[in-house]
Formats: sequence, C-alpha cells, structure tokens
Amino acid sequence: MLKQRLLGIFAAGLLITSAVVPAPAQNTEAADLSAIKAYLLGKTVDLTEATAELETIAARYYEIAEEAGFDYEALAENPEAAELLLAAREAWIIASPTYEQMEGIVAGVPTLADYDVTLDAGASGAEDPVEGVTYNLELPDGRVFERPGNLFGVTEATLWSTIADYSSGVWVDLDGNGEEDFAELLPDAAMLLVGTQTLNAVAEELAASAEAWEPTESDAFTALVVMVPTMSEYFGSWKESRFVAGDDATRTDFVAISRLADIQDILGGLQVVYQSVSPLVAAESADFDSAISDGLVDLHAYVADLYTQEQDGRVFTAEEADFFGSEAQDRADTITGQIAQAAALLEIELAE
Amino acid sequence: MSFRRPSLYLLCGLLLLGCAGIISAQEQSPRALAENVRQALFDAQGALLSGDTQTAADAAAEAQSDFESLRPIIADADAALADQLADYLNTAQTAASEGNVLALANIRGHIWSGLLHGSALVVFDALEAGDAATAESWLTLRDYRPSTRFSRPGADATLAVSGLRAGETAREDALAAVTADLYDTYQTQLNMALNDADAASARQFTMRRAEETGLAAGYFNLLAAAYAEQRGTESHDEAVSAFEALGNAALANDDAAYNAARAEIDRMLTGFRAAPLSDDEAARRAGQLLRFIALVPIEYERGVRNGEVVNDIEIQEALTFREGAAAAFSDLQGALLSIDAETTTRVGEALTQVEEQIREVAEPADLQATVAAIQSDLTALLPAEWQESNAASDVDVIYSVLDTLEGAARQGEYAAAESSRLEAYALLEMGMEQRLRGFAPELAARVESLFWQGYEGQDGLATLLGTHAPVDQVLAGIGALRAALADSQEVLGAGSAPGAIIGNAAIIVFREGLEAVLILASLLASLRTIEERKFRRPIIMGAALALVATLITWVIAHSLLQIMLPLGEKLEVIVSLIAIGVLLLITNWFFHKVYWTGWMANFHQRKKRLIGGIAVITISQSLGLITLGFTSIYREGFETVLFLQSLVLDAGLWTVIQGVLLGSVGVAIVGFITFSLQVRLPYKKMLIVTGVMIGVVLVTMVGHTTQAMQSVGWMPVTPIPGLQIPYWMGQWFGLYSTVQGIGLQVFAAAFVIGSYFLAERQQKVKRVNARKMATTASQKA
Repeated sequence: MLKQRLLGIFAAGLLITSAVVPAPAQNTEAADLSAIKAYLLGKTVDLTEATAELETIAARYYEIAEEAGFDYEALAENPEAAELLLAAREAWIIASPTYEQMEGIVAGVPTLADYDVTLDAGASGAEDPVEGVTYNLELPDGRVFERPGNLFGVTEATLWSTIADYSSGVWVDLDGNGEEDFAELLPDAAMLLVGTQTLNAVAEELAASAEAWEPTESDAFTALVVMVPTMSEYFGSWKESRFVAGDDATRTDFVAISRLADIQDILGGLQVVYQSVSPLVAAESADFDSAISDGLVDLHAYVADLYTQEQDGRVFTAEEADFFGSEAQDRADTITGQIAQAAALLEIELAE
Repeated sequence: MSFRRPSLYLLCGLLLLGCAGIISAQEQSPRALAENVRQALFDAQGALLSGDTQTAADAAAEAQSDFESLRPIIADADAALADQLADYLNTAQTAASEGNVLALANIRGHIWSGLLHGSALVVFDALEAGDAATAESWLTLRDYRPSTRFSRPGADATLAVSGLRAGETAREDALAAVTADLYDTYQTQLNMALNDADAASARQFTMRRAEETGLAAGYFNLLAAAYAEQRGTESHDEAVSAFEALGNAALANDDAAYNAARAEIDRMLTGFRAAPLSDDEAARRAGQLLRFIALVPIEYERGVRNGEVVNDIEIQEALTFREGAAAAFSDLQGALLSIDAETTTRVGEALTQVEEQIREVAEPADLQATVAAIQSDLTALLPAEWQESNAASDVDVIYSVLDTLEGAARQGEYAAAESSRLEAYALLEMGMEQRLRGFAPELAARVESLFWQGYEGQDGLATLLGTHAPVDQVLAGIGALRAALADSQEVLGAGSAPGAIIGNAAIIVFREGLEAVLILASLLASLRTIEERKFRRPIIMGAALALVATLITWVIAHSLLQIMLPLGEKLEVIVSLIAIGVLLLITNWFFHKVYWTGWMANFHQRKKRLIGGIAVITISQSLGLITLGFTSIYREGFETVLFLQSLVLDAGLWTVIQGVLLGSVGVAIVGFITFSLQVRLPYKKMLIVTGVMIGVVLVTMVGHTTQAMQSVGWMPVTPIPGLQIPYWMGQWFGLYSTVQGIGLQVFAAAFVIGSYFLAERQQKVKRVNARKMATTASQKA
C-alpha cells in the first residue's frame, strides 16, 4: 500500500509536470519548391530563345548597314531595313514580357538579384552613381557608353529611337502612311548590335545561374516580400510613360509595352512562388493563407482590369494613375505584411 | 391549426435564413468584411471619377451594409467609435450621391483608419480578457509597416498573440507587444499619410490630398490616447483641431490653410512617439546615433577640397550617415525632450545644420565643429547606460559601411572601397571586437582575417581590394564577412547550448530529488513496528503536498519573472546570481557532513517529539507529521525551483522542462528501487558523484553569469592574450577567454574544493578530539 502511494506520488509529479507544460509546436513540413525552379527555368529558356533571335536580327541589320557604309539615308531605301526593324521590335516584345514573368523571382532572390539590375531594373550610372548598372557598352566603331542603364531599357530606346545617341535620326516609313510618326527612325546599327549581344549574353548567364540555384523557403518568402510591394514604382513609371503622359512623357523606356502589362506578368510569377509555399502557410494559419492567396489574385485582377480599360482606349490622367497606383500600393503593402507574418510564424528568415 | 402550421413553417424558414445570414457573416473574417467596405468605397470613388453618381451611391450603400456586420463588435469595444463610423458612412453615401469627389475621398480615409482603430480596440480588449482567438482573428484587420529595401514588416504582434494562444506568452506581455507593434505601425502610417498629402498637394492632386488628410486624422485618433497621456489633454485637443483644420483645408482646396495646418501638426508631433522604445532599443538607437554622427565629418573631409566636391561618393556617404543619425535621433527625441528639452532642441537643429553644411559644401572644419557640438551635447544628454557599447548598433553601423563598400566595388572604385573597409574595421575595433575576443576568439580571428588577408580559402577584403580583384570576388568576400558578423552578433547575444541546459537541469533535479528520497526513506524506515506504521501516512501526505507546493512555487516564480522580463539581460544576471547562491549553499552543505547528518538528525528528533511513544494518533500529531513530511521535501523543491529559473531565462521553458523530466525519471527510478524493491543503493557514493556534478554546474554557471554581466556592462572585459578556447566550450561550460570569467570560475572551484577540505579538517579535528577525550576518559577510569 505504502509503496503504491509513494510510486503514485512520483508518477503524479511527473504527470503534472508533463501536463502543465505544453510542448512547443514544431513545423516539420517542408514546402515543395520545385515548381518555382521549373517555372524559372522554363522562362529562361524562352528568354534566351527570344534574345538570341533578337541578336540574329540585329546582326543582319548591322550587316546591311555596313554594306551601305552606315549611310542611313541609303539604308532607309532598303526595304529589308524596315522589315528587320519591325522583326527586331517583335522579338523584343516577346523577350521583355518573358523576363517580366520571372522578374519577381530573379529580383527577389538575393543570389540572382544582380541580373535584374543589369537586365531590367538598373538605372544608368549618371542617374544612380551608387546602385546603377556596372557594365559599359563598347561599340565596334570605338564609341563607349559607360553604364548606360538596364539592357531592356537600352535596347528599347534603340529600337524605338527614344534616345538620340542610339538612333540614326533617319526617318523610315514603317506603317506606310507617308507621315513621320513616333518612333519611325532607323536605329544606330552598332548600338543595336552590341546592345542585343550583351542582352543575350546576360540572359544566358542568368539561365546558367538559375540552373545552379536551389530555391529555399527563405528565397521564396524573401522574393515575395521584396517584389510584391514594388507596385508604386511600376505605377510611377506607368504614370511617366507615354501610355499616360503621351508626348509629355519624361521616360525613354516603356514605350512599346504598357507598364500595366509588366505588372501583371510580375504578379503572375509571384503567384507561382506563393502557390509553392501556400500549403506551408495554410498549415500554420489558414486565415493568412487565404488572405494572401486572395490578395494576390485580387491585385492581379485589379491591374488586369486597368490594362483592359487601357487597351480599350481609355487614356488615364496622371491623377487617375496616381489614384489607382496608390490603391494598388496599399493592397500590396497589406499582402506583404501578411506574408511577413506568415514567415515569422513559420520561423522562416527573410533576407535583408 | 391550418393557419398555425404554415406560420410555423414560415417562422422556421425565416429563422433558418436568419441563421444562414449570421453564419455567412460570421464565416467572413473581420479583415474580409472591412476589405469589402474599403473595396466598395474605392468603387464609389472610381465611379465618381467617371461621373457615374448612381453607381457611386450604390457602392457607398454596399459599404454601409458591409459595415453592419462589424459594427456590434466594434461597439462593444467603443460605442462612440462605432457610431462615428456609421456617421462617416452616411457622409460617404451623401458625397457619392452628390458627386462630391473630395468629400468622398476624405471620408474614405476616415473610414478605413476608423476601422483599423476599431480593430485595434477589439484586439486590446480581447488580450486583456485573455481571449487569444478573438485577438488573433481581429489582428488580421490591420495595416503593416511598409517593406523597404532595408527592413521587413515586423511580426511582434502576431507572434505575441500566437504565443498567448500556445500558453508561451503571458497576457500582459502579449498586450504590451501588440500595443507597441500597432502604435509603431500606425505612427509610421500617420507620417506616410502626411508626406503623401504633401506630395499630392505639390502636384495639385486634390482628391489624393483629401484622402490622405482623412487617413492622417484617423491614424492620429488611433494614437490620440497615447498622445494625451504624454502631452496632456490640452495639447491633445489642439492636435485634433489641427487635423480637422487640415482636412477642411483639403476639402476647400485651400493651399494656404493646408500649409498652415501642416506646420501646426509638424510642431505638435515633434518628439512624439506613441510606442516608447524599450531600454534595449533606446540603447541601440543611441549607439547608432553616436556612431553615425561621428562618421559624417570623416566622410565629408575625404570628399571636399578647397571648397569643391572632389568625390561624390564620399559626400553621398556623409549624407547617408547624417540621415541615419537623424533617424535614430528622431526615435529618441520624445524621451530626450523629457530629460532636457533645451539641449534636445539644440541637437535637432544642429543635425539639420549638418545637412545644410554638406549641401552648401562648407569648410570641413566648420562641419567638424558642428558635429563636435552635437557629440558634446549628446554625451551630456544621453543616459549613461545608453552610451555603453552595444553589439547590435555596432553591427548595424558596420553593415551600412559594408553597403557603401559594396557600391564602390561594383563601380570599380577600389580606393573608395578600401576606405570603407578601413572604416568598417575601425568600427569593429572601437566596439564589439573586445568582447568577441573574450567570448569567441575563433570568431574574432575569422572576422579580422576576412577584413584583411583571408580565412580558410576565402580571400580577405584587404587582399581583394589591393589586387583589384573582379567584382564578384569582392562581393563574395563581403558576403563571407557579413556571415561572420551575423555569427558574431548571434554569439554575443547567445546563451548556453540547449544540451548543457538540459544536463544542468537534470543534474539539479536528480540531486535534489535524491536527497528528498533519502530523507523520506530514512523517516519511513524508522517507523518499523506495527504501532509506528500508522505514522507513515501523514508523512507521505506531507510529502505529496510538498510536490504540489513545489509546482505552485514554480508557477509563482515563473509569473514573477514574466513581470520582470522588461529588465532584459539584467534580470538574467540577477536571477543567475541567486542561482549561484543556491548552488554554493548546496555544495557547501554537502561537503560539510554536519549539514547532512545534522539535517537528518533534526528530522528524526522532530519525528520522535511528535510520536513520543503514544499509541493513538491525535489530530495535532497528524498535522505535525504532515508538516514534517512537507518541510523535509519542500525545501528541496524550493531550491530546485529557484535554481531552474535562471536556466529558463537562459534557454527557454521547454529546454528546461526536458531536463526536469530527465532528472525526474532518474528520481522516479531511485524512488522505485528504494520504496518498491526495498533495495539499498550506494547512496553515499551517489551523493558524492552528484555533488561533484553540481560543482561542475556551479563553475559553468559562474562562467555564464560573468559573461552576462559583461554583456550588460556590469563588469569589464579583459581578454586573456594567446588563450584560445573553442566556442563550444563557452556554450557548454561557460568557459570564455576573459580574465574575469576564468578568474571567477577558478575562485568558485577553489571555494567548493576549499570547503570540502575545511569539512574534512573539521571532521579530522573532531575525530582527534573525540579520540583524545576517549583516551582521557579511559585513563581517568
């Protein structure tokens, strides 16, 4: 009897101790991030195909320009020049959105982020001495453009002649209406050649780096918190582009594709990233998961609606662009905050 | 009957519909419902932009309807706020119907910030009531601090509520964390709304300005209680009036009135900080302020020659450091104003002057004079504990210099990059290196090597920059250095290895449990006869009560610690000192056999007095025996609880519990063998072995406590030159290569061993005396 009681006391002590202290919840489930890498690799293949095509066209354009002794007046008489220019623009219009569709991942992952600066986001050295692009363009004729800005911007400005130094200044009637319309100028062949060569080379480097990249949960969450809240920058550039400001536009880029299309592409890529970590978040907090998933879908739909309106002919005023942009930014900030909360609950570190 | 039955069906149907409606509303989270309100008002604004007043009015009506689901719960928290929100929604309806774009934009700002206000109040109430589920649900209806390149939105509130739900965070702590997080967020949002209103004003975007002024007023209302508490009711009322004036100016599109109201608001908000900084955060900001401002003239002087800028990057760096200093000062301003308003104002003005001097390309000597004046004022103004070396702020500043280094390297500016490298290294030398050398010399060597020649195959920055290595290699070097610095920060803020804590807790529990088992076994074994066996029951009851009392003591001690948690690392030091005291007593008593034998004899004497040969057990006897059982066990429990608290502070509750369970299993086994199998174990040897183990625990704890005292600045750090102790030995045994740490550990070990020899000597003397007395007695006989 006594022994039983004594044993009972010890057992009770142990039981009470075990019962009053709850064991900490531990997250042992890991996210399947293979879809992110597969998506990225698919896009890098599409990108390198498009930039290689662009480089080939630019090389041919340079060839016929060289044959014409770089006499652009004479070149304008060659129908192949206009054909090549239109084909190059078409290739660029395929390459640029392809990159935008993966920009959310490239720019948001610390180990890949430098490619984003060089390809699509970096300012020129003159605009941003500290964080602008670091490469120079050396042309076959000896001209050097130091730190000219991101490569999509440079090639766009060359193809659409929005920067005088990149253009021949010679009119070519691309649409055959006999009038000198916007961007109906022959590009500088050397600039186009070197710009597209560099673009293709960096795209290939990115493809190789993406191949070597092993995504982590921290990468995925960091990409989301870095890229989702960049809406104001994109709406800012939309506001200053020809699509809103018309001939008063202060920007030399974003003339070919509306920034609203770019925003949709970026958000599409980020939705792919979130889908990979969504089960992880749902297991920790279903409320945060639905808020983030719904928020991303709604934000995408919101921008798509604006883009559709623009495609249907609505020209937004600067104040309207500001109004819609600030709404997008507010939504993006909320989604970002929710993603940061989910990461904290999952004890996933966000890279600074 | 034929009438009543259809009525009944109808009633049931209505009830079902009503229930479905309630369930549907309840299914939507507060965040989703508030988002519906926000979206509907946004749609109304969009419709007004297209001149469609009917759609705008319909959307505003939808917002009113959506709000009704939220209203009752907000009304429970603050009925006046719920009514005000309903009024705002009526105003929105009117504005939409009348096509008044500005009024709708302004009231939309009020409504959204009002909903956030309501949510915050519901969360605060729920936390006060300990209702984690409601707090968690409503906390999703909130704004967050915007993510920037350098910072991510914080998650303090979410984690605190999650901790409360899991029983890991006390209610008061959760409330404090949530309040600080939300206040901090909404103060940032208030500032952003005011800045956005200014930007909209400059561009003549009147609708945006109206909306931002509405938001700003709402955010201020959310913080108004804190403002009134800090500045008084009169100032609060003036501030509310200023926000009203701002909104009215925006609605009237009156630029002059807008500018006047903005100036007044700026004046009223100067130095206001809704969520005061903790002491640790304040010390960190103060460290940043002192270090950043010191770097401004150094950078500036490098960028200017003869009144002209010769190096843009250096000037940019000077401006960056000034901005960093100004941001840190802004966070501290409220607290500093209450210490010395005049000096604080002077520092604020001087910081502005520094920026002007840089932009006007002033003489470096003039700028240096301004900075020297700031430093002098700050030395007098900042509390002494804020001016002590702080690892967190050291690393913040070093990181910012490494950012500059990285920028320079990317541009191929190797000379500028080298200058930044030296600067970062100087910061390391000035601050954390001394402690790093003491606590983790291997890591100190790694950090230093990465600054200079390199470490384990990774070239150091001096080598890389000196040889003009490609940018990617320099970036890799910077990356390695950042990783080493992050490890250093972790080491300087880290406690013991979890395994060591589990082991220490298990040793203490086993040792104290063993003593309890022996006392109990000894008392019970002496009650052998059939008559005496009845006295066993009250003693066992007392022992059982002692176990329960020990658990209660644990809960009380733990709760007390939770209350004192704001003391931070200082609390850890205080509690560790108490634990060391407990250990010293245990080890000292153990070696003095007098303690053990005397202590046991005391129990037996008490027992004898209580039972005193009486055959029938009385009530007073029972109580006495219960007390005997209780006191014999509770003392061990009390000592254990006291000691374990310091381990909880070091490694967290769960780690310590694992050790407690491990030790308890050991005690249970000994108890089972002793009481159930009645096998006699080598108790003396076990006491000796556990005693030696406790001696090791004591020495370890002295090492850790010394490190903690050095971390909070209560003790200097003097590294022992040439002595390299692996970091794991620090984590496991508290061994760090500092004069103070090793010295005190040697002292503690000497104390324990000395007390052993002293006890031995006393015993020897006693034996000799006894022998002498016996000899004398026999001679006399």
